[in-house]
Amino acid sequence: MTRIDPITAAVIQGALENIAIEMGHKLMRMSYSSIIRESEDFGAALTDATGRQMCECKMSTPLQSGPIPGYIQNVIQVLAQRNDPVRPGDVIMHNDPYGGASHGPDVAFCVPVFVNDNLIGWSVTTAHHLDIGALSPGSCGIVDAVDTYAEGLQFKAIKVIDQGRRIEPVWQILRDNIRASDLVVGDMEAQIEAARIGAARFVALVKANGLATVTAAFEDLMDYSERLMRDAIRALPDGDYTATTYLDGYLDDPDPTRRDLPLVVTLRVRGDTLAVDLTGTAPQLPDKPVNMPLIGTVDCAVWLTIRSILLDSVTYGAIPQNSGLTRPISIIAPRGCLANPIFPAPVIARFCSGNQLADTVMKALAQVVPHQVSAGIGNLRVVAISGLNEGNHWVHMEIMEGSYGGRFGMDGMDAVDTLYANTRNNPVEDIESHIPLRVERYELREDRIAPGQWRGGIGTIREFTFLDDAGFSLEGDGHAYRPWGFDGGATGHVASLTLQTADGSERALPSKVPYFKVKAGDRLISCGPCGAGYGDPLLRDPDAVASDVADGLIPAGTALRDFAVVLRDGAVDTKATDAARRSRG
Amino acid sequence: MKVIGADVGGTFTDLIFSDLSTGALGIHKVSTTPDDPARGVMEGIIALCAMNDVAPSQIDHVFHGTTTATNAVLEGRGARTGMITNDGFRDILHIGRHQRVEHYSIMQELPWQNRALIRRQHRKTVAGRLIPPTGAELVPLDEDGVRIAARELRAEGVESVAICFLFSYLDPRHELRAKEIVEQEMPDAFVTTSSSVSPQFREFERFTTAALAAFVGPLVGRYITGLDEALRGIGIRGDLRIMASNGGVATPAMVKEKPALTLQSGLAAGVLGGGWIGEQAGRSKLITFDIGGTSADIGIVMDGVFAETDSRSTSIAGFPLLMPMLDIHTIGAGGGSIAHVDRGGAFRVGPQSAGAVPGPAAYGRGGTAPTVTDANIVLGRLAADDFLGGDMGLDADAAHHVINTLAAQLGLDPLDTAEGILTILNANMANTIRSRTVQKGIDPRGFALVAMGGAGPLQGAAVAAILSIPEVIVPPYPGITSAMGLLTTDLKYDAIRTQFQISTALDSSRIGQDCDAMLTELSSRFAKDGVADETYTRSGDLRYVGQGYELKIPLPDGTVTAQSMQQVWDAFHAAHVAEYGHAFPDSPIEVVNIRLTGIGRLPKLAATAAPAGGSLEASLIRTSACVFRGDDGLASHDTPIYRRETLPVDTPFNGPAIVVQKDSTTLIPPGAIASVHPSGCIIITLEKAQ
Repeated sequence: MTRIDPITAAVIQGALENIAIEMGHKLMRMSYSSIIRESEDFGAALTDATGRQMCECKMSTPLQSGPIPGYIQNVIQVLAQRNDPVRPGDVIMHNDPYGGASHGPDVAFCVPVFVNDNLIGWSVTTAHHLDIGALSPGSCGIVDAVDTYAEGLQFKAIKVIDQGRRIEPVWQILRDNIRASDLVVGDMEAQIEAARIGAARFVALVKANGLATVTAAFEDLMDYSERLMRDAIRALPDGDYTATTYLDGYLDDPDPTRRDLPLVVTLRVRGDTLAVDLTGTAPQLPDKPVNMPLIGTVDCAVWLTIRSILLDSVTYGAIPQNSGLTRPISIIAPRGCLANPIFPAPVIARFCSGNQLADTVMKALAQVVPHQVSAGIGNLRVVAISGLNEGNHWVHMEIMEGSYGGRFGMDGMDAVDTLYANTRNNPVEDIESHIPLRVERYELREDRIAPGQWRGGIGTIREFTFLDDAGFSLEGDGHAYRPWGFDGGATGHVASLTLQTADGSERALPSKVPYFKVKAGDRLISCGPCGAGYGDPLLRDPDAVASDVADGLIPAGTALRDFAVVLRDGAVDTKATDAARRSRG
Repeated sequence: MKVIGADVGGTFTDLIFSDLSTGALGIHKVSTTPDDPARGVMEGIIALCAMNDVAPSQIDHVFHGTTTATNAVLEGRGARTGMITNDGFRDILHIGRHQRVEHYSIMQELPWQNRALIRRQHRKTVAGRLIPPTGAELVPLDEDGVRIAARELRAEGVESVAICFLFSYLDPRHELRAKEIVEQEMPDAFVTTSSSVSPQFREFERFTTAALAAFVGPLVGRYITGLDEALRGIGIRGDLRIMASNGGVATPAMVKEKPALTLQSGLAAGVLGGGWIGEQAGRSKLITFDIGGTSADIGIVMDGVFAETDSRSTSIAGFPLLMPMLDIHTIGAGGGSIAHVDRGGAFRVGPQSAGAVPGPAAYGRGGTAPTVTDANIVLGRLAADDFLGGDMGLDADAAHHVINTLAAQLGLDPLDTAEGILTILNANMANTIRSRTVQKGIDPRGFALVAMGGAGPLQGAAVAAILSIPEVIVPPYPGITSAMGLLTTDLKYDAIRTQFQISTALDSSRIGQDCDAMLTELSSRFAKDGVADETYTRSGDLRYVGQGYELKIPLPDGTVTAQSMQQVWDAFHAAHVAEYGHAFPDSPIEVVNIRLTGIGRLPKLAATAAPAGGSLEASLIRTSACVFRGDDGLASHDTPIYRRETLPVDTPFNGPAIVVQKDSTTLIPPGAIASVHPSGCIIITLEKAQ
């Protein structure tokens, strides 16, 4: 079955993982912009010569490392078409969302790895850049780009270093066309250095062990991951399982075809294979960038959700993330739908669509493995804030957390990134030290618990005041559709965003706001979504309800209304609670 | 001068006595008493004094490594803790960095939510706000609000309070005023502020560090007070000194005020002991490698300087800890690590461990899982008769049985399986050492590996060979190196001031003033401790403007000027190249923090010496068959087994050889040469590595 003895396989696996960790460690520490160093929105991985992923950095966010094989496979193809050979010392820049990239701002730097003049693999880093020269400042919240060209610069396998020689005109184009280019170019340099370190370590590993041994170990590792996934799928009953959720789309758009967009997932379990059929999903929006690249976003959303549920790392430990894991899974997405758009349909704001798709996959799986899922999650939102300081742009991006639904035996996680994203927030003390913004509040929402035997997670409330004239944009979802309750649990709560202007007037904003000018003194109030409940709330442990009341998360009246729990002096009145629950049951 | 070191571990409390004037040394081991660790410590000290014919009243210093704070956090057994923080920020501790622990898991827990240090009901908010860049007051502190909050906390039965305000690292006045008020309202409570615990930016990390301090504060205070009283009770008049995570010791008063200092107390002593031993053997670049039953701890020492963590890489039980600490990396790999075939059919060793109970199968205490120790027995490297000086018999049949079972599962030969367990274990350990060296720009080939802990001397040579480390040092008493480390410490206190100053517009006088202020702070602390002989070193946490991680760079003594800072910028660029392989020489540099470390010298353990006389012949116990991997696969070698106590000094002998002593077994593999150094250390030289 295996190509190599299990001892060598274990040794090589450890060495490969160590290389990816070092790449990420160095990228994080060398980079300049908070989206990389604080939010950790970056990826690092090694692939073989054909782009099959060998290992990824544990610190990176899944939506960055996951797409790396797609980047490389497309880079190889494009260079071959151009008859441009890959040589030692090359560094190739790539961000084509129709060529493997997750979206334009996630730029990859790819270092080909050579041993004795033979290409043996690739060392790659990806990172979300602050700006990529799109129509408005920042690289998120560009919810009004009409096509791929409006989304910013497109790099289709561009050599920025050719056989060790920097291609200066390319760097000059970057500096001239990107806002806050000092930061962005600095981050790109850091990416290149980290990828080069990965390449050097990869060469050393091959020299120490021989290419044949390393390759055999890697093939075994892929088989290993594949075997675990096939075993997990085989344990599911054959059948078709369908789920639907909805994206807000453009809630304030007069055109109804841009609102209430269905995402439909049908899982077809057949033996040890799983087909994920997205037929029924809304057609693409030809001139709005919430379409999702099939390779780079849709595939990652599907794979990551399935592995997080079927091979949950709490139960299974760390399973090597490599291309073997995805072999038993196929994806069917009709061409021209939201999940398989046709060039040049814009895609830059695909983040929320993809995470909602992940949630839809989980909803379908809930029918088969109810003890391994959460009820519906609260989706994430990203806000970009920008302004000018003495003629120079400042740009800040903040990923606003969601929350998980309740789980079998556990409440939902409060205030976290959900499903395919796992970034970090920016410290208040970092934000206020670097940009003209005052953070007034960052807390859990109160009295917004989705009832269930295991309650939904709680979202946050954040308030920001602008200290200077500036602009902001929002790329979000979940202002209209509540997270789905499961097995008798209640639906969750929607997110909202309110603008209070300095004159005291207030307006509610939809989940997508293109670049919007604000004045000093204006204030934004963001309420994050709250995940849904799991199971019958009348079965919830009354002490857990009392604890939430004591913690000020819900008032006693809500405890009675939603959970039929009667409190006396803060403690559960068992008799009265039993009676209340009987009368409802 | 007579001193005692007492190091509390999970299973044993190790004790060491030394008369520094004569160099006399005595060691002792007692079982740890987890319900009240002071009991075991006192039992041990009384016995140790008797064994060495010394009256307790003659003891000048007692040095102590404690796991009280660490265990309180790991087991969630801290005080009922409260917090007072800014309006609008009640849930900073609960939201954290909004990042999950695991990427690929639905059913995971988040430590800061599932095991909260401070429940939301005990987190009170008050009006008051400072703002950057200087800590100016935007909203005055609501003192009545603080008073009301303190009364509520008292009514709720809270016995410990963390006061945590945004931007307090720039100006602690709101925190200090709130502390005064809370102390008036709650005179019996432990009260701490985030700025006194760690005045650095990043509120979640700083508040959590303060919450950890408050969580363990009352327990640590009671423990230290109780131990101090017990020492007085048996007539010891000398000072008690407690090991801190930064590699120094602190007085009881200091630890009671800043209990978070001791959160990694237990690990620090091991690295110190390893560093000291390496120095005795005349080596200045050391990797300390301490393997016990369940874990291995790795530290780096260069020219007497112990590597410290950067403030963003340290955590305990999943909580970030923003404190100066020795850089000690722990992995779940030790003598008790369990070898198994996982669900996907891969061969794994650890991180699960059989621990001390049931322990490896060979312990005969009901263990049924094959462990690293069982593998060593099957390969002939651990002999049943010699283990723990023969005090504890080993069941070799049981070891063979569990390894055979695993071999059948893997489809491998039992010897290959046993050797494979060690290969995987050693590779894991080598990867970890690589992550502390190669990945930070340090070449391990110029280092010596100090193999210590009960299991370190068995694996040390193999791990060194993987990393091309030329030498392995095995201390005279590998099993009590941590306790010895306690006797090599100084008082060590740290101060820090946040700067956020940029090289292109530097106010060097502000740096100078802050250095002076830190000096005043630390020297008054030393004066209180009665220390006269103290030294100070300055350093800065620097980064390129815009980066989020800093590198620690030494700052020159004397007046801070543009010229003296030029050296600092140059040193930063060079350090960036060393650490990351690259510098950005045109980029401006930001001074994030400046630090002052004060060292108050204490008497040290005298040099060790190997016993005189002895010969290889006299030391030879027997010759046994041991299995090693050579170029042609596994082969059995006739291997001499020596008794350590009688080995001659400076008399090289060839591997394969095994050296046994009461607290450890040393393996010298084929091709390596060993020799006893005059300090009593065994030095193994690896041929292949040269």
